Amino acid sequence: MKKTININFQGQLITIEETAYDLLNQYIQSLKEYFRREAEGTEIVNDIENRIAELFGNRLKHGIACITDEDVESIINTIGRPEEFDLEFDEREEKSTIPPPLTKSTDSQMPPPVTDEARKSLFRKSNDKILGGVCSGLAHYLKIDPVFTRLGFALFFYLLFWVYIIMWIVVPARELPNNVSKRLYRNPNDRFIAGVAGGIAAYFKIDTWIPRVVFLLPLIFKVFGLARIPFNSFNLFNFNSFTPWDLSINLHFSFFIAYIILWIIMPKAVSVKQKLEMMGEDEYLKTIRATVSDNVAQARSSRADVDNANIGASASATPTIVPEQSNVSNIVGAQEQSATPPPYIDEPRKPYISQQSERSGCLTALVGLLKIMFFGIVGIIAAGLMISLFALIFTGAQFVPLQSLFINSGFENNLLWMSIILTLAVPIVGMFAWIIRRIMKAKSRPFIGYTVSILWFIGIVAGLVLGFNITRKFSTESLQENNIVLTSPTTNKLFVEMKRYPLDYFSVTPGTNSFTMGSPGINNIELDNLPFYNIEEDSLLFNSIELRMKTSKDTLYHVKTIFASSEKNYKAAKANVRDFDFKLEQNDSVLFIPQFFKTPMEQGFRNQFVVVEIFVPSGSKLEVSNDLISYQIPISSKAMRRKYGDDYGYKNSLEWNSNEEYVLEGEKLTETRLLNN
Amino acid sequence: MKVENIQSQMRKGVLEYCILSIIKSGEAYPGDIIEAMKSAGLNIFEGTLYPLLNRLKNADILSYRWEESPAGPPRKYFSLTDKGLAFYDLLESTWSELSSSVEVLINRTSEHKNEEESTTDS
Repeated sequence: MKKTININFQGQLITIEETAYDLLNQYIQSLKEYFRREAEGTEIVNDIENRIAELFGNRLKHGIACITDEDVESIINTIGRPEEFDLEFDEREEKSTIPPPLTKSTDSQMPPPVTDEARKSLFRKSNDKILGGVCSGLAHYLKIDPVFTRLGFALFFYLLFWVYIIMWIVVPARELPNNVSKRLYRNPNDRFIAGVAGGIAAYFKIDTWIPRVVFLLPLIFKVFGLARIPFNSFNLFNFNSFTPWDLSINLHFSFFIAYIILWIIMPKAVSVKQKLEMMGEDEYLKTIRATVSDNVAQARSSRADVDNANIGASASATPTIVPEQSNVSNIVGAQEQSATPPPYIDEPRKPYISQQSERSGCLTALVGLLKIMFFGIVGIIAAGLMISLFALIFTGAQFVPLQSLFINSGFENNLLWMSIILTLAVPIVGMFAWIIRRIMKAKSRPFIGYTVSILWFIGIVAGLVLGFNITRKFSTESLQENNIVLTSPTTNKLFVEMKRYPLDYFSVTPGTNSFTMGSPGINNIELDNLPFYNIEEDSLLFNSIELRMKTSKDTLYHVKTIFASSEKNYKAAKANVRDFDFKLEQNDSVLFIPQFFKTPMEQGFRNQFVVVEIFVPSGSKLEVSNDLISYQIPISSKAMRRKYGDDYGYKNSLEWNSNEEYVLEGEKLTETRLLNN
Repeated sequence: MKVENIQSQMRKGVLEYCILSIIKSGEAYPGDIIEAMKSAGLNIFEGTLYPLLNRLKNADILSYRWEESPAGPPRKYFSLTDKGLAFYDLLESTWSELSSSVEVLINRTSEHKNEEESTTDS
């Protein structure tokens, strides 16, 4: 004895044994799987289904009461199984992907196979989402009810907001099957407002009044609270004015909020499958039995529900199954024949999408509002970041007072800006664009990525060219010697003093005119640590000066100055050196050494320095001012070493200290106070 | 090298030609085509026929129209397009050349009985 069902197959009413139906269904699924790779595969499957329907029709015309397993088997054998197509006819490109063989599994409710990847990895669940499907995806990964992950995110909103946003952006979306058998749904059949209490009751298998009372608790509290206000006015329980009234308000509010949150995060049980998941199978079957025996018509009206439940089993092979026979007959055990065949539905359903749980209208509005808020916040943050970035880039020039010292205006300046904008701004703009497109779910356009990468690469190249240009400016060094014979001081003693720079140079603005000492950033720059000392209108002031003492070959004081500067070629370096402004002054016995030497602004920093050598005649006295003590620090360069030898700076150099009177005796400066003693 | 592979490849090569020749002699729906091929002794799975027809249709070689059937769902009746006719002529000339050359070769080899075994082995 076998159960038969009536199916609507390609517009034909077919009476078929249930086992044969399963067999047919599996066969058609396997065909779909196989022809998915073919262009217009669904049409091919449809053609084959047409043919099968015709063959069924032929058989039924010959007086057979119903289609049996054998009929289906023989039809499958004439049409052939996908594996056999491969043998006979193999033109497809993807030979490696062998279609899954027909399984003999009788579980027709089994969802179509999910790849291992989908089972193990974390995805956002695009077919069950409130905002981005992060929670449901996480729940799918953990194999728990998404309501709980949603509740977690809702409760720890402040902590997990960014986690959610990041996951929304990072985790890819995918349609995933349900992997939880029991889920918390809103119960549309047992609802007062939205069915939240009904759903909770169904989930925990308790009476509906219990969760309802819990939700109404604050209202009860309120009544109590009102009654207690006189009592409370004795200030016995006044903890920071935490009156029962407040409590009830707070509680009431929080329970209201809780209800709203649950309303949002609990999907409505629409399909039979969802109702099954909500109640557990036994419970649901009980209610169905009651309904069916009470009112068959009502069961018929819920045909749509039954449809959904059968989606797993019936793809387009059975667009509609007469509910009394497919599902309900299992339960009731009755063999009712349907009087009117259900209408033929052409369009094959997609199994997953139709399972998407429905949101209520109020919720959709709320979610819409949330989305607007979210995009608003993200937009503001993004705009703020962008603005601060550009501000940083454009004011960055002012934070780099050295820029004009290394980089000529014109070509090099353009290079600098190009490299800064392209290497810094372009990727960040690109990243924002990507995030925004990702959030807006715009289709990814690879050319945007390519453009950004190419621009960035150009920026890097510009930076390299600039770097090369800058290093070239230090490639050639020029030295210029200048010998002066000092007029012999009357006292046979030379005082060496610093000639202070006359202007208040600390108020002069380095880099740009708007740059003042008070502006942020400059306070962190140690002026003394800069290679130049300061900038005065159109000249640079350098304090890279070394002072040496040497023995004079005759009886006169001599001074030798060596100017050094680098440039990209010798000629330019020589021109640089010629522009040095460094004038020694002698006033009888006092030699003034300027505090700085000046070069024109256009020269920039080219490792300029000045060496002052004072040749002291034997027996003459020398005293150096304390201001010049820092000029003891030796300065050297490649050209210096090449010209004067590696030991330059040590050989024939006399040791000296400031504020000390020396006399040159032999080859040594001797303190006169020691001699006196 | 399996003999089944070669056999299926041989059949595959002429399958389109056979189908087109059936359709050329008059509009046909897949059931007719299957019947005609069966009666000619060419057994193929129907599952192979449908994708083939679909491809030929996509290549503009075939066109079809729907026709209500006396019993069962409506049928697709296929016919050759102008392009299909030209295509068929090409296949026809190729086939006649091929079959005559194969014929000649086979007749010649069957005369040399010594070489018979070696040719079948290879």
